[in-house]
Amino acid sequence: MIATLDPITAEIIGSALVYASEEMGIAVRNASYSPNIKERLDHSCALFDRGGRLIAQAEHIPVHLGSLPWGLGRIIETIAAAGEAMRPGDMWVANDPYISGTHLNDVTVVRPIFHAGTLIGYAANKAHHTDVGGSVPGSMPPDARELFQEGLIVPPMRLMRNDEVVAETVVLFRANSRTPESRSGDLRAQIAGNTIGERRVLELVERYGVQTYEAATDKALHDSEVRMRAALRTFPDGEVRVEDVLEDASGEPSIHLRLLLTKRGDEVTLDYAGTNAQLPLPLNGVYGVTLSAVYYALRAVTDATIPMNDGVFRPVHVEVPLGTILNPRRPAAVSGGNVETSQRNADLVLAALAALAPDRVPAQSGGSMHNVMLGGVDGDGNPWAFYETNGCGQGGRPNADGIDAIQAHMTNTLNTPIEAIERTFPLRVTRYEFAEGTAGDGRFRGGSGLVRAMQLRSGQATIALLAERHTVRPRGSVGGAAGGVGRHHLVTDGVSRELPAKTTLPFTPGETLVVQTAGGGGYGNPDDRDDAARERDARDGIRLAPFA
Amino acid sequence: MTHTNGAVSGLRVGIDVGGTFTDLMALDAATGTLHRVKVSSTPRAPEEGVLNALRAFRETAGEPIGLVAHSSTIATNALLGQVHLELPRVAFVTTEGFRDVVEIGRQNRAEVYNLFVKRPAPLALREDRLVVRERIDADGSVLVELDPESVAAAVETLRERGITTIAVGLLNAYIEDAHERMVVDAIRAAIPEAEVSASSEIDRQYREYERFSTTIVNAALVPIVRTYLERLARGVRESGIEAPLFVMQSNGGMAAIDAAAERPATLIESGPASGVIGAAYLGRAMGIRNVLSFDMGGTTAKAGTIADGEPEIASEFEAAGATHSGRSIKGSGYPVRFPFVDLAEVSAGGGTIAWLDAAGALRVGPVSAGADPGPACYGKGDRPTVTDANVVLGRLNQKALLGGAFPIDAARSHAAVASVASVVGGDVERAAAGIVALVDAEMAKVLRIVSIERGYDPREFTLMAFGGGGPLHACAVASDLAMRTIIVPRHPGLFSAYGLLAADVRATFVRSIVARADEAAFANAERLFTALAEEGRTALAAQGVGEGETAFVRELDLRYAGQSFELTLPAAPTLAQNVAAFHAKHEQRYGYAAHHDPVEIVTVRVVAVGTTRKPPLVPAELAAPESSAAAKIGARNAYDGTQFVTTDVYDRDKLVPGAAFDGPAIVEQYDSATYVAPGWRAHVDRFTNLVLERAS
Repeated sequence: MIATLDPITAEIIGSALVYASEEMGIAVRNASYSPNIKERLDHSCALFDRGGRLIAQAEHIPVHLGSLPWGLGRIIETIAAAGEAMRPGDMWVANDPYISGTHLNDVTVVRPIFHAGTLIGYAANKAHHTDVGGSVPGSMPPDARELFQEGLIVPPMRLMRNDEVVAETVVLFRANSRTPESRSGDLRAQIAGNTIGERRVLELVERYGVQTYEAATDKALHDSEVRMRAALRTFPDGEVRVEDVLEDASGEPSIHLRLLLTKRGDEVTLDYAGTNAQLPLPLNGVYGVTLSAVYYALRAVTDATIPMNDGVFRPVHVEVPLGTILNPRRPAAVSGGNVETSQRNADLVLAALAALAPDRVPAQSGGSMHNVMLGGVDGDGNPWAFYETNGCGQGGRPNADGIDAIQAHMTNTLNTPIEAIERTFPLRVTRYEFAEGTAGDGRFRGGSGLVRAMQLRSGQATIALLAERHTVRPRGSVGGAAGGVGRHHLVTDGVSRELPAKTTLPFTPGETLVVQTAGGGGYGNPDDRDDAARERDARDGIRLAPFA
Repeated sequence: MTHTNGAVSGLRVGIDVGGTFTDLMALDAATGTLHRVKVSSTPRAPEEGVLNALRAFRETAGEPIGLVAHSSTIATNALLGQVHLELPRVAFVTTEGFRDVVEIGRQNRAEVYNLFVKRPAPLALREDRLVVRERIDADGSVLVELDPESVAAAVETLRERGITTIAVGLLNAYIEDAHERMVVDAIRAAIPEAEVSASSEIDRQYREYERFSTTIVNAALVPIVRTYLERLARGVRESGIEAPLFVMQSNGGMAAIDAAAERPATLIESGPASGVIGAAYLGRAMGIRNVLSFDMGGTTAKAGTIADGEPEIASEFEAAGATHSGRSIKGSGYPVRFPFVDLAEVSAGGGTIAWLDAAGALRVGPVSAGADPGPACYGKGDRPTVTDANVVLGRLNQKALLGGAFPIDAARSHAAVASVASVVGGDVERAAAGIVALVDAEMAKVLRIVSIERGYDPREFTLMAFGGGGPLHACAVASDLAMRTIIVPRHPGLFSAYGLLAADVRATFVRSIVARADEAAFANAERLFTALAEEGRTALAAQGVGEGETAFVRELDLRYAGQSFELTLPAAPTLAQNVAAFHAKHEQRYGYAAHHDPVEIVTVRVVAVGTTRKPPLVPAELAAPESSAAAKIGARNAYDGTQFVTTDVYDRDKLVPGAAFDGPAIVEQYDSATYVAPGWRAHVDRFTNLVLERAS
């Protein structure tokens, strides 16, 4: 097949599929309601071949990178195991993390694509719905002990049948959410995204024929694999053992992640034996999320221009013992696995790669998404809910300082403007700037974390916080110093008290929540730092983390 | 003072300053004659290029000049860090506790998988971001009175540091500007020579980061742009031209140079905008309301939408930012909330380089050989470019370009393309065809972005192809989108200068409301319309626009409550009509309308338009279709998509209105070349445009 395929046609089809996955993403974003999707781009879109292999994925948010293709495979298996099949005119929906691959907020919608009555592939997308029920607004309770406290669990169900929306399925989502209108809007947006993807695939099939289309997708997978292997060969061979920690509910760094990374020739194997057993905490991350962090780290240190498809990770083998925090058994709670454990896993993989090639990997970034979930009723009795993640200090790089106050690694969401927050919620932002004393020293220093403070104006509310790196500092690299930790404070009547990294508590009018995020570690010996750079920092009032 | 009126009495002159060439076009209203001049650009002092073009023009045309409009890349180049255009030291004065808002931006990084990603360097360093103690609440009331001591301290710091370029941006100043005005007054009183931009004057809309960024970008550009415009004005006057001088803005309208010097951030996308304005003007003159503009130059291709005669305008862009497959990358540049002609841009031009990746697959771009070394056939570089591929395919002249004025080396093109031909078994011609096919596919994407992604069916649009390369690739991209008609203007390579002949004076005035769309909010919007129109009237009068030549376009930005993106609509007389129009536009653009969901009015906007009289197009008599025979200057072997065939070559200058011929054919002219593909028929219309129509 490939022998007769015109390479230029193959290239055009491959690039059209990448564009189609991006167009799907635009369609989802445009039509969605949840700020998480619309403004923060917390969604991903992809196309698959008839065997369920990824052929194109738009690059939106890294935490969906491996989990979406992994989830598609599980969804197809689950449907088959139930003696069902995806039929023409169907769309299926699921959010069960153990099947669809992330946490309950991430709802996956799949469209089987048929041509002349034959299945030729799938269009699928995953989007973060702001609220899918559970014990707190935003559906990520920091004190969840098992999945059931985190919200509605939906195994694969039909969202469309014969191209008609299945009303019962939408009603189920609505009935379980604090914001039902947004659920309908977001599901509609996800349908729109898959419809676009299907249309583009069928246009290509009609223009070039199924045989050429499939030969071209095979070649795209093959080419990506060849390029990834070439990129891996540029790393020295070796076996590296690394370890990092997560902090438990009391702040103790008692949760261990362990990795043995073996790089030989053009292949790499990651073995997580020795990683902590799963816990009654929302820090368990399902296997799909573990894959995402591995893929993110490898993509970032190799060649991110390689078209993302099933071929890219053929040379990568990931082994995670079942029952651990990185591959838990049902029904471990998982909401924070996406946002916190995935960050630590990315740190871990990057640390292993740094051991092989220290000049290609930065020092550790802030290492947490610093999740803040606020909600309650305002002074007029209207319910409201607000969720945001906060950036941190980026680790110092081999050729440049880390960036101050920026989203690192597994997320890349946008913040909500202060003037929008103050118009929409009973909140007032009282401070938003770089956190002093958080940047790790080094030849290239780490970035500063940030401070964001919010006061409740009226009504009654609940604060739920989920953060990391409040006890253990982000590490420096190649002689660089560690970054400073994050901190939470609540100011009541002028008195400030420190809060744990992971906590839920009431929020009363007049109180101010102060969130400080961790800084990045430094890269290289601080003695080698350029005098002019130190002078610039001094003039700019950038204070470095205490040396320890 | 009614300069724009006076303009009609003389020649209207448009001058487009590009990276390599400065192009001038002029239209004689009486005869319809188009004059054109091309001179080298002078990047170190761009006004010299403009003056050289004017000088050269006046040597050939004796008539008096009535109006000079020009587009300038000086603002963009300054933001991109071009040498000799260093930005001044800028201070930013803001609310205590918020001095890093402008550096943090929206917290996202421009490239997700790039560990070495850069954030745009702050235009005001942290050291020079000063704070005052004050706070306005979200409803405009004063929470914390402005502390005079903190103002005095900030002013003292500015004076000590000798900083005279200053931006002021306080939280919630879009709703209540009293504190900002007090700060500005204090600075001006203490430092009379200071150039101060206040956020409530520059961009009175909510979302603090974008407002502060717009204000700082504007402040930073004032000294450079003002100096440039003053030198230009002096030079023009000294050369004896009394006509008023205008500058093209990003929004496709012109501003008098004094107004432009106050708002230099309105000029950032000056050049690209004028091509779209030209396309809209030419389209309207021909009775074509729906046009996709397709502008392919040496390094990029740009596409824009003209729907029902009006170019699509967006209200925000990122200056000095990057793009990915035609879409702007959020966080890669400096947000500027001045309206701009909404273009999709991709790295695909004549100089774009073809290469083989690690898997041995052929790729094209994004790296460009630019003007130096340029395509291999220019004799300096040896990497294969799109231009080299077109030379190999015989679609470009294999001896010389620029109407014979610029000899090229076709053997070098051949050798360069051979270096990537292993992908097709060493077949150089197939490799060249592959390069062209890949770049065509890339350019078709930007046309999809400006049509399909905006809810338009490209089959209902006409493609207007210009820039040096647009006409060469137009048939391929039009076929990809199933478009049936292409217009190649008379001078496609100078079309940005042509667009300057068609622009009006425009100034935009905005206020945020952000309220549920009820009768009270609508009444508030109507009051603001009146107030903003009055501001517009004053601004136009100051630019020499006479009372009878003004028009005010009223717009509302609406959204469903809870959304964070707005749609812009022309305001209708009643609230119900506006809401209905919003539902309809939402349906058109995003595929659905939520008729039961509450709607919000976010922004009220008045675009003040000073209508200038454009020289009319003069229709010519049509000759017989066969008259094309007289314009045939030869034939050569050229690739038709599947094979090489003998292809007729026509001289554009000899093709008269009425002349017609079938593809495959090549039309050569000084500033461009057109490839008419098989299955397409070409004719010259009454206005000397080359019109290509798909036969089947």
